[in-house]
Amino acid sequence: MSIKSGYFKKRLHVDLTEGRCQRTPIAEELIERFIGGRGFGAKLVWDNLVKHRFQIDPLGPENLIVVAPGPLTGTYVPSSGKTSFVAVSPATGLYGDSSAGGSFGLELRQTGVDVLTIDGRAPQLSALFLDEDEASILPVPELAGTTCLEAEGLLKERFGTHEVKVAVIGPAGENLVRIACVNTDWSRNAGRCGMGAVLGSKNLKAIVVRGSKDLPVDDLEKAFAYMRGHKYFRMWQREGLMMVMDYASAAGILPTHNFKDATFPRVHQINGDTMLGGYKIGDAACLACSMSCGNICLVKAGRYVGTVTEGPEYESCAMLGSNLGVDSYPAVLHATALCDELGIDTISAGGLVGAVIEGYEQGLLTLEDLDGQPIAWGDDAAVMQLLYKIARREGIGNTLADGSKGVIRRWPEMEKVLVQVKGLEQSAYDSRAASSMALAYATSDIGAHHARAWTIAKEIEQGKNWTDEEKVDLVIYHQSLRPLFDMLGVCRLPWIELGLNEEHYARFYSLVTGKESTLAELLAKSRDVYDLTRLVNTRLGASRKDDTLPYKVRACPIRTGPTAGKVVDQATFDRLLDLYYQKRGWDSDGAPSAEVEKSFIS
Amino acid sequence: MAKKLAVVPELCSGCRICELVCAIKHFATANPKKSAVRVLVTYPHPVMRLPIVCSQCKVPLCADACPVGALKRTNGVVRLDTSGCISCMKCVEACPFGAMFAHSGLEYPIKCDLCDGKPQCVEKCPKGAIRFIPEQSLGESKRMNNVLSYAHMKEIEFTEKGEKKTIRYAEIGKEEL
Repeated sequence: MSIKSGYFKKRLHVDLTEGRCQRTPIAEELIERFIGGRGFGAKLVWDNLVKHRFQIDPLGPENLIVVAPGPLTGTYVPSSGKTSFVAVSPATGLYGDSSAGGSFGLELRQTGVDVLTIDGRAPQLSALFLDEDEASILPVPELAGTTCLEAEGLLKERFGTHEVKVAVIGPAGENLVRIACVNTDWSRNAGRCGMGAVLGSKNLKAIVVRGSKDLPVDDLEKAFAYMRGHKYFRMWQREGLMMVMDYASAAGILPTHNFKDATFPRVHQINGDTMLGGYKIGDAACLACSMSCGNICLVKAGRYVGTVTEGPEYESCAMLGSNLGVDSYPAVLHATALCDELGIDTISAGGLVGAVIEGYEQGLLTLEDLDGQPIAWGDDAAVMQLLYKIARREGIGNTLADGSKGVIRRWPEMEKVLVQVKGLEQSAYDSRAASSMALAYATSDIGAHHARAWTIAKEIEQGKNWTDEEKVDLVIYHQSLRPLFDMLGVCRLPWIELGLNEEHYARFYSLVTGKESTLAELLAKSRDVYDLTRLVNTRLGASRKDDTLPYKVRACPIRTGPTAGKVVDQATFDRLLDLYYQKRGWDSDGAPSAEVEKSFIS
Repeated sequence: MAKKLAVVPELCSGCRICELVCAIKHFATANPKKSAVRVLVTYPHPVMRLPIVCSQCKVPLCADACPVGALKRTNGVVRLDTSGCISCMKCVEACPFGAMFAHSGLEYPIKCDLCDGKPQCVEKCPKGAIRFIPEQSLGESKRMNNVLSYAHMKEIEFTEKGEKKTIRYAEIGKEEL
């Protein structure tokens, strides 16, 4: 049975060098095999790499960026607001993707396209405008240097309507900062992998969309009713991801002092209760999301008075809070707001700044390296300074703006304090507490990010006496299921946090596309995409040598807390990695077979 | 008993589920732009999320603006009789709240009909930000907020049988007495 609905079967390609926008039909095979979102992105980026014989500068005009919602984006599926941004990552030089929530994806689909691809380089700072009938490239030199929020406001003014949806980059993206993000719908970011720098390198400040076409739908009320009935539903609405702060600190997996510790004694000052007590002024949700994990917070007094932002959520709060020893909630809030405005990824920024503080403490960096401005744990004013410097590429910020790889190139010794894999800074779960998580970070296609597999809670909850095989199986299952959400264009939180059964998603897909599919079939497709992204990385020069444990994870035991003394030893890890490659069907160096590669050549 | 839609903007998260369910109910499509309710968002100054809903006015300006009398208020609901409608969209422009809508793919304007007494936007709102309440209850939450704004809530801690307890009370300033 073939796909009946759920797609417009159209791709819009924009060549910024030529100033040409073209709608082309997309092949049935792409839709059937790759579903959408990250799946479309991986295939189209791969095709582009093949076309350029794998010679691509991530910040060159030839790097194709794919903006792809999924077939479920914008339908009445719970939390279906996701859009993937996919390209070769300037942070890692390898496959990169990042997804953003909000309503941007729905609006893009309503213009009648399933996927937007952009390459080339505009002669001057430009914005791309799309609606159902036209696509045009408009010069916007007046927006140079504007923050994400300013630019979005000005663009809405220019188009004279609040009904357009905007994806925009801040000063960091314009300055080709390799940890720059894309900000959509005011404050929903595609944060990781430096997608903002890719747009910046193309001189593309913003994508503005306005559409009104119909999307297919079916009765999905049962899923919503299930979620409403869940015992954590109200708590989730109140606190969102801020709930995780207390849990992570108690479990000993909260990054603290650049991952030296894994519990933060002053966590109560930056947790959900503190937020609810004096800062939260409203809820924010992505499209069709009943969970509303976003918290709009305002600082009402003190040094950061007047700061208002949507967030911080757990990752931001951990990486810019405990990880830097910052124990003041208004300071964390301000740092998050600053990252939103400048357009930089909070996780990477927190990882880099933490490494700078520790590097300075250990004497790996001199005061001169820091431009004469010392920095210490908990020094929030110095943290804000550094964030500005990164976005503007000033002083040490110019090196930090090149991400972990740039820092190590300049100060090789800093490798000991940078917690990263493949050049992407690790997200806010300490993997030393669970070796399966270390494997998940090492084998994630985009670098040390938890979006591919987040096995840490399961391993900790269910005791640590798991066999190697169980760990590897869980990592591979997660690496198939979690990216599937990105392919469908939905958020994974209803599944993780409220336990919405993953089988539902096969039903949603069948309802929307009219093609009966089982979860197993969808997972097989997701696994196929994982092979493809691995292949991209292999052909770009990555192999087993890049599937590593950060120095800290293998050599520096956690200092304090319930997980004190934990470290992942290299021999255990090598054993897990061998088994992992074997189960994936990759060779001992981590490369997929020639037959697999052949299946992706069209 | 006549009931009306009321909005509590402080509770709205901006998820647009109201728009989606309205479009699904009336047009069987997940197209928020084909709905009779719209969530407007301003950010970051001021932070506002406000669902715009039809008030079913007793003096409906939409009906007044209709040159052919296609809009009529019966049993507390202003309804559009499409057989008479000439699609001029004057009603859409006339509504002082912007609570009527037009869509290029539809022949007629979109008018809220309260879903025959079971408004879907109210039923499906995960936050309780849109309510369907008796007319005499309109403004109740504002009244209560107003009452509370006069009272400065104070807290005292005390110990009862070794257990720590708190009691909250409203302190009314002397100048107000």
